[in-house]
Amino acid sequence: MVKVIEHKVSREVKAWLKKEAVEQKARYKKIVADQEALSPKRDKWVAEFLERIQTRGFNVHADMLRKIPASEIPKKPRRKFKVVF
Amino acid sequence: MARPHIEPFVDRDVPFKKMTLPGFPKGMHYKMLSLDTDTGACSMTVMYENGYRQPPGMSYADMELFIMSGYLETDEKRYTPGTYFWVPPGVHLPELRAPRGCVALMFYNYAEPSFVESDSDHPLAERDNLTIVNSYEDMHWTSTNFFPATASGCLVKVLRFDQRTQAFTFLYCMTPNFWQDNISYHDCAEEAYHIWGTSWMMQFGNLPTGGYFWRPPYINHGAFACKLGTLALGRTDSQLYNHFHFNPWSTPEENRERAASRILSWKPELYRWIEQQGGHNHPHVPNDFEYPDQGDPHAIAHAHGVPHDHGDGHHHHEHEEKPKRRGRRRKR
Repeated sequence: MVKVIEHKVSREVKAWLKKEAVEQKARYKKIVADQEALSPKRDKWVAEFLERIQTRGFNVHADMLRKIPASEIPKKPRRKFKVVF
Repeated sequence: MARPHIEPFVDRDVPFKKMTLPGFPKGMHYKMLSLDTDTGACSMTVMYENGYRQPPGMSYADMELFIMSGYLETDEKRYTPGTYFWVPPGVHLPELRAPRGCVALMFYNYAEPSFVESDSDHPLAERDNLTIVNSYEDMHWTSTNFFPATASGCLVKVLRFDQRTQAFTFLYCMTPNFWQDNISYHDCAEEAYHIWGTSWMMQFGNLPTGGYFWRPPYINHGAFACKLGTLALGRTDSQLYNHFHFNPWSTPEENRERAASRILSWKPELYRWIEQQGGHNHPHVPNDFEYPDQGDPHAIAHAHGVPHDHGDGHHHHEHEEKPKRRGRRRKR
């Protein structure tokens, strides 16, 4: 299947792409900052999730639930908790 | 780099901009959702002004269009909300009009947006692949047929399926009070836009109407919840498999390694055969008899980001012939 028909990319198009790439970079930085600010709430959500999978269960497949024993619950590593990469 | 991880982004927070790319008629506005800075491939929310007219024409790359509000019409047909177009490169569409305006999602998969006036197809166009379907009127919801599956209450309508890569575009919904307590990641990039409704993910919080993400492979998302229901459009760039787990802190590198390890468990013979081809860590790409013209396997492997080395830790790109020595060889 043909993905792209060969064509010349004009200077105008290149300039447009460059401008959009700069704006996307700024958008990405804002997302990272916003997600960093969400960290305290996220830590609480994670604690609640780890509690729920021990009491109500973890969705193994569809609605099939498995209660995870405390011994299997992962421990928070020392490294920084990142969600945007 | 290709597209960065854009998650979450809400397009309601930014204004529309005029589309100024050459070829596109006046009266088209857009919000950039994500952009591949190497190829120009991108996803946009687009708005056509009242009275917009686009002459017959084609694009150099494939284009997907999903109408969210308003309508587009040709001389013969009206395309209302829920209509999905997949237009292969070079396939021309007749004049399109938006007498009362229209808002849509627009996706270019392999190159920058382009529009060339033409009342006929390009010689390379594959018109038989043109897809136009009204997903609201003509299709039913089905459960997700991926195993392991999402919890009950997440339903899909598959709009397009690429049989080669298994990439697909789909409408999905979450019913009110949907929840799913696991963390997921995929081997593919995943993208979605909320047409209506708010859902929640443990990493990113609430994603409301107008919410969007482009998520590269192996990035954790979930647990999931939705209070009042959500309608969204999703896309992948290859096969979607739900790698479920419950470690909130695993990294994309750890997730990828786990995925590879799981393939070894699921398909040990195939895994070993692939690994052993070439006798070293060479990115061998087996031939697919259905696609004999796929090109140089080595180049394909690199295009897919598969590095290789010869056990010395160095990444060798080419197996070129050694340069010939200048001057005469000494006779022995």
